[in-house]
Amino acid sequence: MYRYDEFDARIVSERVAQFRGQVERRLAGTLLEDEFKPLRLQNGVYLQLHAYMLRVAIPYGQLSGRQLRQLAVVARDYDRGYGHFTTRQNIQFNWVALKDIPDVLAKLAEVEMHAIQTSGNCIRNVTSDHFAGATKDELMDPRPWCEIIRQWSTFHPEFAFLPRKFKIAVTAAEHDRAAIRVHDIGLHIRKRGDVVGFEVHVGGGQGRTPHLATLVNEFVPEAELLDYLEAIMRVYNRFGRRDNKYKARIKILVSELGEGEFRRLVEEEYAAQRPQEKIDLPQAEIDRIHAYFAPPALAEKPATSDAFEALKAEDPEFARWARVNLHPHKTDGYASVTVSLKPVGGLAGDATDAQMMTVAHLAETYAYDDIRVSHAQNLVLPHVALDDLPDVYRELKAAGLHTANESLITDMIVCPGLDYCNLANARSIPVGQAVQQVFADPDYQEDIGRLHINISGCINACGHHHIGHIGILGVDKKGEEFYQITFGGRADEKAAIGSIAGPGLKADDVPSALKRVVDTYRDLRSDKSELFIETLARLGHDPFKEALYAAD
Amino acid sequence: MTSVRPKLKPETPKAVTAWETATGENVWMTADGGWTKDPAQIGAFTGEEAEARLADAQAQEGQVTDPYFMEVTETGGITGRETLRETIRATGPTVAYGDAG
Repeated sequence: MYRYDEFDARIVSERVAQFRGQVERRLAGTLLEDEFKPLRLQNGVYLQLHAYMLRVAIPYGQLSGRQLRQLAVVARDYDRGYGHFTTRQNIQFNWVALKDIPDVLAKLAEVEMHAIQTSGNCIRNVTSDHFAGATKDELMDPRPWCEIIRQWSTFHPEFAFLPRKFKIAVTAAEHDRAAIRVHDIGLHIRKRGDVVGFEVHVGGGQGRTPHLATLVNEFVPEAELLDYLEAIMRVYNRFGRRDNKYKARIKILVSELGEGEFRRLVEEEYAAQRPQEKIDLPQAEIDRIHAYFAPPALAEKPATSDAFEALKAEDPEFARWARVNLHPHKTDGYASVTVSLKPVGGLAGDATDAQMMTVAHLAETYAYDDIRVSHAQNLVLPHVALDDLPDVYRELKAAGLHTANESLITDMIVCPGLDYCNLANARSIPVGQAVQQVFADPDYQEDIGRLHINISGCINACGHHHIGHIGILGVDKKGEEFYQITFGGRADEKAAIGSIAGPGLKADDVPSALKRVVDTYRDLRSDKSELFIETLARLGHDPFKEALYAAD
Repeated sequence: MTSVRPKLKPETPKAVTAWETATGENVWMTADGGWTKDPAQIGAFTGEEAEARLADAQAQEGQVTDPYFMEVTETGGITGRETLRETIRATGPTVAYGDAG
């Protein structure tokens, strides 16, 4: 993974010192909240329903064991013993006192972490495929390009005051696990002959006006990428709306201008860049960054493992976990392990300090010191030898981290909702837990197969309800919580925005209504291999709407 | 201001609530104008007195952040359109979390 050089370390520590001074002045009352708010947001500090919340950047979701341990220490010593992993592959602490945040940031700086650009109208954390560098189905490892984009965008003076926040996602795999088409810019790495380049999608996003990104350029060669991104950002900075917060994202600009005009403006801007302002990333620099992401020196292994096969034969729970939570690795004898943070009845994406310590230990002992956070709010150990899976499983089980539900119906994306969030209109967590309960039977879940239910507690869509196969949106109707159901969203290479099924349901009615929908799918699917989203596409939404609103 | 909440009529009883600046903990103004972290001690104000109490709170920037009105009964009980939000804010998340979660 990338390691800080002396400049990175100095910039981050200077930033901590600067924020310490700002906090001191805020506590003394010489900085007013209206003055302090943009400063705290630039350091990832929000004020939520109960307390300050600190959002820490995890670049493209990658952590070392040492970093995860330090996050555990922060959770234990400065919070209430847990942290919340987010859909942007970051972590949030819910209960940190403002007076302690400079100390927390200093702790994070010790392990090359910070909270810079995790809020505000700037380019945020670049996200990526959580199996990057490990998965069989990728063209190449996208992380070096995520890092190059991170370095280019961090403290970029021209893009510090954009009309609105800006999110970039990168994938290099045919199956898109980074949801690139619902990002402001989604990059898909392609090759033409020997030349690496990027398919550039612009203007995707969720929130109150969801849009899928438009393909703006089919192939931008790698050496030109940063200049091309600058052209896009300049067009956005110049023409993006600043008069209305709700119309300020680039998705609105692309939609209002139309695909052709937006592309023309970007190309005009690109052509207008003078030679002296071109970044023209030198190959030596591209190579230097790539070197940080050299694959781990995996010991050679046979394609099968006796220890792994023996435990599968002996322990059906382990066999299920292995069926559900392992992803094929590009190297024989290895797998990528999803550590589910979605136990039935738990809090999606939450991990206690002790659980973080366990995963850090496993990463250091068995997994080449590499941990990822997925946009589905789980953790991943990307490189584990099949021989070691029994030991890894035993330790996960002891820590309550062995839930076998990766991409199954209980692996829900759930925003914090009204239990924590100052913007939410309705609760998400208890509704998500109740939905999990009706599908809790592991055989039932496996029979249903891959089905993504996502829930948001307000229209801002942090719980990605628009792109859930089934989406749930909490709304407030005269002080009462109601939940709108959407069908047909998806986040992958066939990305789609779900459509609303009809009137909202009361919280208590949501689990049974969804059970009727899912059982209708089981009755109507052509065979067990046809996923819910495929049956929905084949038959249309009507049978499922009917089931949703049928009386119990 | 972070919190833009529904507007309340002058005669509607209201409390002044905010976040303690140093910790972020929720605080409510008591009937005598002090601050409490105990929702049982919430003071209720109306009319010009309420506006004056909010102005007092806004003048205490170092101590409290982002004060706003919330609807209460005459005895300071949480009520009205935002009962659920304000109850969760006063009593904490409705789900067990951390080691208890």
